[in-house]
Amino acid sequence: MGHGHYIAPPAGQYLVKAGEKLELQFVVLPGESRDIELSIDLTGPGAEAHVKALYLCKADEKVNFHVVMHHKAAGCKSTQLINGIAGGQAQVHFDGTIVVAPDAQQTEAYQENHNIVLTPEAKVETKPQLEIYADDVKCSHGATVGQLNPDELFYMRSRGIPEAEARMLQMLSFLSPVIPEGREEEIEQAIKTL
Amino acid sequence: MLEIRNLHARIGDKEILKGIDLDIKPGEVHAVMGPNGAGKSTLSAVLTGRPDYEVTEGTILYKGQDLLAMTPEERAWAGLFLSFQYPIEIPGVTITAFMKAAVNAKRKAQGQAEMKAGDFLRLMKEKMALVQMKPEFAKREVNVGFSGGEKKRNEIFQMALLEPDLSILDETDSGLDVDALKIVADGVNTLRSPQKSAIIITHYHKLLEYVQPDVVHVLKAGRIVKTGGRELIEAIESKGFDQF
Repeated sequence: MGHGHYIAPPAGQYLVKAGEKLELQFVVLPGESRDIELSIDLTGPGAEAHVKALYLCKADEKVNFHVVMHHKAAGCKSTQLINGIAGGQAQVHFDGTIVVAPDAQQTEAYQENHNIVLTPEAKVETKPQLEIYADDVKCSHGATVGQLNPDELFYMRSRGIPEAEARMLQMLSFLSPVIPEGREEEIEQAIKTL
Repeated sequence: MLEIRNLHARIGDKEILKGIDLDIKPGEVHAVMGPNGAGKSTLSAVLTGRPDYEVTEGTILYKGQDLLAMTPEERAWAGLFLSFQYPIEIPGVTITAFMKAAVNAKRKAQGQAEMKAGDFLRLMKEKMALVQMKPEFAKREVNVGFSGGEKKRNEIFQMALLEPDLSILDETDSGLDVDALKIVADGVNTLRSPQKSAIIITHYHKLLEYVQPDVVHVLKAGRIVKTGGRELIEAIESKGFDQF
Protein backbone atom coordinates (compact mmCIF):
# COMPACT_ATOMS: atom_id res chain seq x y z
CA MET A 1 0.00 0.00 0.00
CA GLY A 2 0.99 3.58 -0.33
CA HIS A 3 2.97 3.03 -3.51
CA GLY A 4 1.79 4.72 -6.68
CA HIS A 5 1.94 1.63 -8.83
CA TYR A 6 0.53 -0.95 -6.52
CA ILE A 7 -2.85 -1.41 -5.00
CA ALA A 8 -3.52 -4.21 -2.66
CA PRO A 9 -4.37 -5.14 0.81
CA PRO A 10 -1.21 -6.22 2.58
CA ALA A 11 0.00 -9.63 1.55
CA GLY A 12 0.24 -12.18 4.34
CA GLN A 13 -2.08 -14.51 6.12
CA TYR A 14 -5.85 -14.23 6.23
CA LEU A 15 -8.31 -16.25 8.29
CA VAL A 16 -11.87 -16.33 7.03
CA LYS A 17 -14.39 -17.54 9.59
CA ALA A 18 -17.81 -19.15 9.20
CA GLY A 19 -20.09 -17.12 6.96
CA GLU A 20 -17.50 -14.44 6.27
CA LYS A 21 -16.47 -13.28 2.82
CA LEU A 22 -13.04 -12.01 1.87
CA GLU A 23 -12.39 -10.14 -1.37
CA LEU A 24 -8.88 -9.17 -2.38
CA GLN A 25 -7.72 -7.35 -5.45
CA PHE A 26 -4.12 -6.84 -6.51
CA VAL A 27 -2.86 -4.60 -9.27
CA VAL A 28 0.83 -4.43 -10.12
CA LEU A 29 1.65 -1.83 -12.76
CA PRO A 30 4.90 -1.39 -14.68
CA GLY A 31 7.68 0.38 -12.82
CA GLU A 32 8.52 -2.01 -10.03
CA SER A 33 9.10 -5.57 -8.97
CA ARG A 34 6.82 -7.25 -6.45
CA ASP A 35 6.69 -10.34 -4.28
CA ILE A 36 3.19 -11.20 -3.16
CA GLU A 37 2.86 -14.00 -0.63
CA LEU A 38 -0.69 -14.85 0.25
CA SER A 39 -2.07 -17.49 2.54
CA ILE A 40 -5.81 -17.76 3.03
CA ASP A 41 -7.43 -20.18 5.46
CA LEU A 42 -11.15 -20.81 5.20
CA THR A 43 -11.74 -21.96 8.77
CA GLY A 44 -15.53 -22.04 9.23
CA PRO A 45 -18.45 -23.44 7.26
CA GLY A 46 -19.67 -21.24 4.42
CA ALA A 47 -16.60 -18.99 4.35
CA GLU A 48 -15.71 -17.45 1.00
CA ALA A 49 -12.56 -15.94 -0.48
CA HIS A 50 -12.22 -14.27 -3.87
CA VAL A 51 -8.88 -13.11 -5.20
CA LYS A 52 -8.36 -11.11 -8.36
CA ALA A 53 -5.00 -9.91 -9.54
CA LEU A 54 -3.45 -8.34 -12.58
CA TYR A 55 0.16 -7.58 -13.31
CA LEU A 56 1.83 -5.69 -16.13
CA CYS A 57 5.58 -5.83 -16.23
CA LYS A 58 8.37 -4.71 -18.50
CA ALA A 59 12.14 -4.18 -18.62
CA ASP A 60 13.85 -6.38 -16.02
CA GLU A 61 10.99 -6.32 -13.52
CA LYS A 62 10.11 -9.41 -11.53
CA VAL A 63 6.70 -10.36 -10.22
CA ASN A 64 6.33 -13.32 -7.89
CA PHE A 65 2.83 -14.34 -6.92
CA HIS A 66 2.51 -17.09 -4.38
CA VAL A 67 -0.86 -18.12 -3.00
CA VAL A 68 -2.08 -20.94 -0.80
CA MET A 69 -5.84 -21.29 -0.52
CA HIS A 70 -6.59 -23.67 2.32
CA HIS A 71 -10.11 -25.03 2.65
CA LYS A 72 -10.31 -26.27 6.24
CA ALA A 73 -14.09 -26.41 6.74
CA ALA A 74 -17.10 -27.72 4.83
CA GLY A 75 -19.14 -25.73 2.31
CA CYS A 76 -16.57 -23.04 1.62
CA LYS A 77 -16.02 -21.36 -1.71
CA SER A 78 -12.94 -19.77 -3.25
CA THR A 79 -12.08 -18.24 -6.61
CA GLN A 80 -8.78 -16.94 -7.91
CA LEU A 81 -8.40 -15.11 -11.19
CA ILE A 82 -4.92 -13.85 -11.91
CA ASN A 83 -4.03 -12.45 -15.35
CA GLY A 84 -0.90 -10.68 -16.44
CA ILE A 85 1.18 -9.43 -19.36
CA ALA A 86 4.97 -9.56 -19.47
CA GLY A 87 7.10 -7.52 -21.86
CA GLY A 88 10.78 -6.63 -22.06
CA GLN A 89 12.90 -9.15 -20.16
CA ALA A 90 10.42 -9.31 -17.30
CA GLN A 91 10.11 -12.46 -15.23
CA VAL A 92 6.86 -13.67 -13.75
CA HIS A 93 6.51 -16.56 -11.40
CA PHE A 94 3.10 -17.77 -10.27
CA ASP A 95 2.79 -20.50 -7.74
CA GLY A 96 -0.71 -21.31 -6.52
CA THR A 97 -1.97 -24.15 -4.39
CA ILE A 98 -5.46 -25.11 -3.39
CA VAL A 99 -5.56 -27.40 -0.38
CA VAL A 100 -8.82 -29.12 0.56
CA ALA A 101 -8.69 -30.71 4.02
CA PRO A 102 -10.37 -34.09 4.71
CA ASP A 103 -13.27 -32.39 6.55
CA ALA A 104 -13.86 -29.76 3.88
CA GLN A 105 -16.66 -31.51 2.00
CA GLN A 106 -18.82 -29.56 -0.50
CA THR A 107 -15.88 -27.35 -1.29
CA GLU A 108 -15.93 -25.21 -4.40
CA ALA A 109 -12.51 -23.94 -5.39
CA TYR A 110 -11.38 -22.46 -8.67
CA GLN A 111 -8.09 -21.01 -9.79
CA GLU A 112 -7.08 -19.47 -13.12
CA ASN A 113 -3.77 -17.93 -14.09
CA HIS A 114 -3.41 -16.61 -17.64
CA ASN A 115 -0.42 -14.86 -19.13
CA ILE A 116 0.59 -13.12 -22.32
CA VAL A 117 4.24 -12.66 -23.18
CA LEU A 118 5.01 -9.82 -25.59
CA THR A 119 8.67 -10.54 -26.28
CA PRO A 120 10.83 -13.65 -26.69
CA GLU A 121 12.92 -12.46 -23.73
CA ALA A 122 10.05 -12.21 -21.23
CA LYS A 123 9.62 -15.31 -19.09
CA VAL A 124 6.56 -16.63 -17.32
CA GLU A 125 6.47 -19.67 -15.11
CA THR A 126 3.16 -20.82 -13.73
CA LYS A 127 2.58 -23.69 -11.33
CA PRO A 128 -0.99 -24.31 -10.27
CA GLN A 129 -1.44 -27.17 -7.81
CA LEU A 130 -4.32 -29.00 -6.19
CA GLU A 131 -4.07 -31.02 -2.99
CA ILE A 132 -7.44 -32.58 -2.33
CA TYR A 133 -8.11 -34.78 0.69
CA ALA A 134 -11.94 -34.70 0.60
CA ASP A 135 -14.13 -36.52 -1.92
CA ASP A 136 -17.18 -34.28 -2.39
CA VAL A 137 -15.58 -31.24 -4.00
CA LYS A 138 -15.77 -29.11 -7.12
CA CYS A 139 -12.29 -27.92 -7.97
CA SER A 140 -10.59 -26.76 -11.11
CA HIS A 141 -7.48 -24.91 -12.06
CA GLY A 142 -6.12 -23.66 -15.32
CA ALA A 143 -3.00 -21.90 -16.43
CA THR A 144 -1.94 -20.58 -19.82
CA VAL A 145 1.03 -18.71 -21.24
CA GLY A 146 0.53 -17.38 -24.75
CA GLN A 147 1.06 -14.58 -27.19
CA LEU A 148 -1.31 -12.09 -28.74
CA ASN A 149 -3.22 -13.99 -31.40
CA PRO A 150 -1.89 -12.95 -34.84
CA ASP A 151 -5.12 -13.96 -36.62
CA GLU A 152 -7.17 -11.65 -34.39
CA LEU A 153 -4.65 -8.90 -35.00
CA PHE A 154 -4.86 -9.22 -38.79
CA TYR A 155 -8.66 -9.41 -38.70
CA MET A 156 -8.84 -6.13 -36.80
CA ARG A 157 -6.25 -4.42 -39.02
CA SER A 158 -8.13 -5.56 -42.13
CA ARG A 159 -11.10 -3.61 -40.79
CA GLY A 160 -8.99 -0.46 -40.44
CA ILE A 161 -8.06 -0.66 -36.77
CA PRO A 162 -4.40 0.46 -36.50
CA GLU A 163 -1.99 -2.17 -35.22
CA ALA A 164 -1.27 -0.42 -31.92
CA GLU A 165 -4.97 0.03 -31.20
CA ALA A 166 -5.73 -3.56 -32.19
CA ARG A 167 -3.07 -4.81 -29.76
CA MET A 168 -4.53 -2.57 -27.07
CA LEU A 169 -8.03 -4.00 -27.67
CA GLN A 170 -6.63 -7.53 -27.39
CA MET A 171 -4.80 -6.78 -24.15
CA LEU A 172 -7.73 -4.92 -22.58
CA SER A 173 -10.11 -7.76 -23.39
CA PHE A 174 -7.64 -10.27 -21.97
CA LEU A 175 -7.38 -8.29 -18.73
CA SER A 176 -10.99 -7.14 -18.48
CA PRO A 177 -12.11 -9.80 -15.96
CA VAL A 178 -9.48 -8.57 -13.49
CA ILE A 179 -9.56 -4.79 -14.03
CA PRO A 180 -11.03 -3.05 -10.98
CA GLU A 181 -14.08 -0.96 -11.74
CA GLY A 182 -13.27 2.58 -12.75
CA ARG A 183 -9.59 1.92 -13.41
CA GLU A 184 -9.83 1.02 -17.12
CA GLU A 185 -8.27 4.31 -18.21
CA GLU A 186 -5.29 3.89 -15.89
CA ILE A 187 -4.68 0.31 -17.02
CA GLU A 188 -4.88 1.43 -20.65
CA GLN A 189 -2.22 4.06 -20.03
CA ALA A 190 -0.06 1.46 -18.28
CA ILE A 191 -0.38 -0.99 -21.19
CA LYS A 192 0.90 1.72 -23.54
CA THR A 193 4.20 1.77 -21.64
CA LEU A 194 4.84 -1.96 -22.14
CA MET B 1 -9.93 0.53 -59.56
CA LEU B 2 -7.52 -2.42 -59.49
CA GLU B 3 -4.64 -3.37 -61.78
CA ILE B 4 -2.72 -6.54 -61.05
CA ARG B 5 0.34 -7.25 -63.21
CA ASN B 6 2.38 -10.46 -63.27
CA LEU B 7 1.72 -11.18 -59.59
CA HIS B 8 3.80 -13.95 -58.04
CA ALA B 9 3.37 -14.82 -54.38
CA ARG B 10 4.45 -17.54 -52.01
CA ILE B 11 3.89 -18.74 -48.49
CA GLY B 12 7.02 -20.20 -46.94
CA ASP B 13 9.00 -21.53 -49.90
CA LYS B 14 5.91 -22.66 -51.79
CA GLU B 15 5.07 -20.51 -54.81
CA ILE B 16 1.29 -20.31 -55.14
CA LEU B 17 0.55 -17.41 -57.49
CA LYS B 18 2.53 -17.71 -60.71
CA GLY B 19 1.81 -14.60 -62.71
CA ILE B 20 -1.67 -13.13 -62.27
CA ASP B 21 -2.97 -10.27 -64.43
CA LEU B 22 -6.31 -8.75 -63.52
CA ASP B 23 -8.06 -5.44 -64.24
CA ILE B 24 -11.17 -4.32 -62.44
CA LYS B 25 -12.99 -1.12 -63.32
CA PRO B 26 -15.35 0.84 -61.05
CA GLY B 27 -18.79 -0.78 -60.84
CA GLU B 28 -17.63 -4.20 -62.04
CA VAL B 29 -18.18 -7.46 -60.23
CA HIS B 30 -15.64 -10.14 -61.07
CA ALA B 31 -15.93 -13.79 -60.16
CA VAL B 32 -12.75 -15.77 -59.60
CA MET B 33 -13.50 -19.48 -59.80
CA GLY B 34 -11.19 -22.41 -59.49
CA PRO B 35 -10.61 -25.75 -57.85
CA ASN B 36 -9.26 -26.12 -54.31
CA GLY B 37 -5.60 -25.18 -54.10
CA ALA B 38 -5.68 -22.96 -57.21
CA GLY B 39 -4.52 -19.91 -55.22
CA LYS B 40 -7.87 -18.15 -54.76
CA SER B 41 -7.44 -17.49 -51.06
CA THR B 42 -3.79 -16.54 -51.55
CA LEU B 43 -4.96 -13.84 -53.96
CA SER B 44 -7.31 -12.40 -51.34
CA ALA B 45 -4.58 -12.67 -48.67
CA VAL B 46 -2.09 -10.77 -50.81
CA LEU B 47 -4.66 -8.08 -51.70
CA THR B 48 -5.41 -7.43 -48.02
CA GLY B 49 -1.80 -7.63 -46.83
CA ARG B 50 -1.77 -10.79 -44.75
CA PRO B 51 1.66 -10.98 -43.09
CA ASP B 52 2.62 -14.62 -43.92
CA TYR B 53 2.41 -14.14 -47.68
CA GLU B 54 5.31 -12.82 -49.68
CA VAL B 55 4.99 -11.17 -53.07
CA THR B 56 8.08 -12.11 -55.07
CA GLU B 57 7.24 -10.40 -58.34
CA GLY B 58 4.67 -8.11 -59.94
CA THR B 59 2.67 -5.02 -59.03
CA ILE B 60 -0.78 -4.11 -57.77
CA LEU B 61 -2.21 -0.65 -58.31
CA TYR B 62 -5.33 0.23 -56.34
CA LYS B 63 -6.92 3.56 -57.31
CA GLY B 64 -3.54 4.40 -58.81
CA GLN B 65 -1.65 3.72 -55.56
CA ASP B 66 0.94 1.01 -54.90
CA LEU B 67 -1.20 -1.36 -52.85
CA LEU B 68 1.70 -3.56 -51.79
CA ALA B 69 3.36 -0.60 -50.03
CA MET B 70 0.31 -0.08 -47.80
CA THR B 71 -0.37 -1.66 -44.37
CA PRO B 72 -3.57 -3.71 -43.95
CA GLU B 73 -5.20 -0.82 -42.07
CA GLU B 74 -4.23 1.71 -44.75
CA ARG B 75 -5.81 -0.55 -47.36
CA ALA B 76 -9.02 -0.62 -45.30
CA TRP B 77 -9.04 3.17 -45.03
CA ALA B 78 -8.65 3.37 -48.80
CA GLY B 79 -11.85 1.33 -49.19
CA LEU B 80 -10.65 -2.26 -49.51
CA PHE B 81 -12.59 -4.97 -47.67
CA LEU B 82 -12.24 -8.72 -47.34
CA SER B 83 -15.11 -10.95 -46.27
CA PHE B 84 -13.10 -13.74 -44.60
CA GLN B 85 -13.55 -17.35 -45.60
CA TYR B 86 -13.09 -18.24 -41.93
CA PRO B 87 -14.08 -15.21 -39.85
CA ILE B 88 -11.96 -14.84 -36.72
CA GLU B 89 -13.33 -14.98 -33.17
CA ILE B 90 -12.25 -12.17 -30.87
CA PRO B 91 -13.15 -13.10 -27.29
CA GLY B 92 -13.76 -10.13 -25.01
CA VAL B 93 -14.42 -7.61 -27.80
CA THR B 94 -18.04 -6.84 -28.67
CA ILE B 95 -19.21 -6.24 -32.22
CA THR B 96 -20.08 -2.68 -31.20
CA ALA B 97 -16.61 -1.95 -29.81
CA PHE B 98 -14.98 -3.62 -32.79
CA MET B 99 -16.90 -1.73 -35.45
CA LYS B 100 -16.77 1.56 -33.59
CA ALA B 101 -12.97 1.31 -33.52
CA ALA B 102 -12.96 0.43 -37.22
CA VAL B 103 -15.30 3.24 -38.32
CA ASN B 104 -13.57 5.88 -36.22
CA ALA B 105 -10.08 4.83 -37.29
CA LYS B 106 -11.09 5.38 -40.90
CA ARG B 107 -12.67 8.74 -40.10
CA LYS B 108 -9.55 9.79 -38.22
CA ALA B 109 -7.35 8.76 -41.15
CA GLN B 110 -9.51 10.93 -43.39
CA GLY B 111 -9.35 13.90 -41.02
CA GLN B 112 -12.96 13.59 -39.85
CA ALA B 113 -14.22 13.78 -36.27
CA GLU B 114 -15.35 10.61 -34.48
CA MET B 115 -18.94 9.59 -35.04
CA LYS B 116 -21.39 10.49 -32.28
CA ALA B 117 -22.38 7.45 -30.22
CA GLY B 118 -26.08 7.80 -31.02
CA ASP B 119 -25.47 8.18 -34.76
CA PHE B 120 -23.18 5.15 -34.75
CA LEU B 121 -25.71 2.92 -32.98
CA ARG B 122 -28.45 3.97 -35.40
CA LEU B 123 -26.19 3.19 -38.36
CA MET B 124 -25.27 -0.21 -36.88
CA LYS B 125 -28.90 -1.10 -36.38
CA GLU B 126 -29.73 -0.19 -39.95
CA LYS B 127 -26.88 -2.27 -41.40
CA MET B 128 -27.59 -5.25 -39.16
CA ALA B 129 -31.18 -5.27 -40.38
CA LEU B 130 -29.85 -5.52 -43.94
CA VAL B 131 -28.53 -9.04 -43.26
CA GLN B 132 -31.24 -9.90 -40.71
CA MET B 133 -28.92 -9.90 -37.71
CA LYS B 134 -30.85 -9.59 -34.46
CA PRO B 135 -30.12 -6.36 -32.54
CA GLU B 136 -28.75 -8.30 -29.53
CA PHE B 137 -25.76 -9.33 -31.65
CA ALA B 138 -24.41 -5.80 -31.16
CA LYS B 139 -23.41 -6.80 -27.64
CA ARG B 140 -22.02 -10.23 -28.53
CA GLU B 141 -18.30 -10.90 -28.66
CA VAL B 142 -17.08 -10.90 -32.27
CA ASN B 143 -17.94 -14.27 -33.86
CA VAL B 144 -17.71 -16.11 -30.51
CA GLY B 145 -20.28 -18.89 -30.49
CA PHE B 146 -21.69 -17.84 -33.88
CA SER B 147 -22.95 -20.46 -36.32
CA GLY B 148 -21.34 -20.61 -39.77
CA GLY B 149 -24.19 -18.63 -41.30
CA GLU B 150 -24.11 -16.01 -38.53
CA LYS B 151 -20.38 -15.49 -39.08
CA LYS B 152 -20.88 -14.89 -42.79
CA ARG B 153 -23.77 -12.52 -42.18
CA ASN B 154 -21.57 -10.67 -39.70
CA GLU B 155 -18.97 -10.24 -42.47
CA ILE B 156 -21.54 -8.73 -44.85
CA PHE B 157 -22.85 -6.51 -42.05
CA GLN B 158 -19.31 -5.17 -41.54
CA MET B 159 -19.00 -4.65 -45.26
CA ALA B 160 -22.25 -2.68 -45.33
CA LEU B 161 -21.12 -0.53 -42.40
CA LEU B 162 -17.67 0.23 -43.80
CA GLU B 163 -18.97 0.94 -47.34
CA PRO B 164 -15.85 -0.28 -49.16
CA ASP B 165 -15.09 0.60 -52.79
CA LEU B 166 -13.59 -2.81 -53.53
CA SER B 167 -14.99 -5.82 -51.70
CA ILE B 168 -13.45 -9.27 -51.85
CA LEU B 169 -15.81 -12.07 -50.91
CA ASP B 170 -13.69 -15.13 -50.18
CA GLU B 171 -15.82 -18.27 -50.30
CA THR B 172 -18.63 -16.36 -48.63
CA ASP B 173 -21.06 -18.99 -49.88
CA SER B 174 -19.30 -21.97 -48.32
CA GLY B 175 -21.23 -23.59 -45.51
CA LEU B 176 -24.37 -21.53 -46.08
CA ASP B 177 -27.82 -23.01 -46.46
CA VAL B 178 -30.12 -21.60 -49.15
CA ASP B 179 -31.85 -19.11 -46.86
CA ALA B 180 -28.60 -17.72 -45.46
CA LEU B 181 -27.14 -17.59 -48.97
CA LYS B 182 -30.08 -15.50 -50.14
CA ILE B 183 -29.76 -13.10 -47.20
CA VAL B 184 -26.05 -12.67 -47.88
CA ALA B 185 -26.64 -12.23 -51.63
CA ASP B 186 -29.37 -9.64 -51.07
CA GLY B 187 -26.98 -7.76 -48.78
CA VAL B 188 -24.25 -7.79 -51.40
CA ASN B 189 -26.64 -6.73 -54.18
CA THR B 190 -27.91 -3.79 -52.12
CA LEU B 191 -24.34 -2.52 -51.95
CA ARG B 192 -23.73 -2.65 -55.69
CA SER B 193 -23.28 0.73 -57.38
CA PRO B 194 -21.59 2.19 -60.47
CA GLN B 195 -18.65 3.28 -58.29
CA LYS B 196 -18.18 0.11 -56.26
CA SER B 197 -16.46 -3.06 -57.39
CA ALA B 198 -16.26 -6.57 -56.03
CA ILE B 199 -14.31 -9.79 -56.44
CA ILE B 200 -16.28 -12.93 -55.65
CA ILE B 201 -14.03 -15.89 -54.99
CA THR B 202 -15.75 -19.24 -55.12
CA HIS B 203 -15.47 -22.77 -56.46
CA TYR B 204 -19.19 -23.04 -56.70
CA HIS B 205 -21.82 -21.41 -58.90
CA LYS B 206 -24.53 -20.97 -56.28
CA LEU B 207 -23.79 -17.46 -55.03
CA LEU B 208 -23.27 -16.32 -58.63
CA GLU B 209 -26.91 -17.11 -59.44
CA TYR B 210 -27.91 -14.40 -56.98
CA VAL B 211 -25.04 -11.96 -57.41
CA GLN B 212 -24.42 -11.84 -61.15
CA PRO B 213 -20.82 -11.06 -62.11
CA ASP B 214 -19.81 -8.98 -65.13
CA VAL B 215 -16.61 -10.94 -65.73
CA VAL B 216 -15.66 -14.51 -64.81
CA HIS B 217 -12.07 -15.75 -64.39
CA VAL B 218 -10.87 -19.29 -64.00
CA LEU B 219 -7.87 -19.62 -61.68
CA LYS B 220 -5.86 -22.82 -61.89
CA ALA B 221 -2.46 -23.67 -60.44
CA GLY B 222 -1.69 -20.04 -59.72
CA ARG B 223 -2.63 -18.59 -63.11
CA ILE B 224 -5.76 -17.19 -64.72
CA VAL B 225 -6.33 -19.67 -67.51
CA LYS B 226 -9.59 -18.32 -68.92
CA THR B 227 -11.58 -15.09 -68.77
CA GLY B 228 -15.08 -14.62 -70.08
CA GLY B 229 -18.68 -13.78 -69.29
CA ARG B 230 -21.36 -15.61 -67.33
CA GLU B 231 -21.41 -18.44 -69.87
CA LEU B 232 -18.23 -19.71 -68.16
CA ILE B 233 -20.20 -20.43 -64.99
CA GLU B 234 -22.44 -22.85 -66.86
CA ALA B 235 -19.50 -24.46 -68.62
CA ILE B 236 -17.82 -25.06 -65.24
CA GLU B 237 -21.03 -26.40 -63.77
CA SER B 238 -21.49 -28.96 -66.53
CA LYS B 239 -17.88 -29.96 -67.26
CA GLY B 240 -15.83 -28.93 -64.21
CA PHE B 241 -12.41 -27.27 -64.18
CA ASP B 242 -10.55 -29.99 -66.09
CA GLN B 243 -11.58 -28.53 -69.46
CA PHE B 244 -9.33 -25.48 -68.95
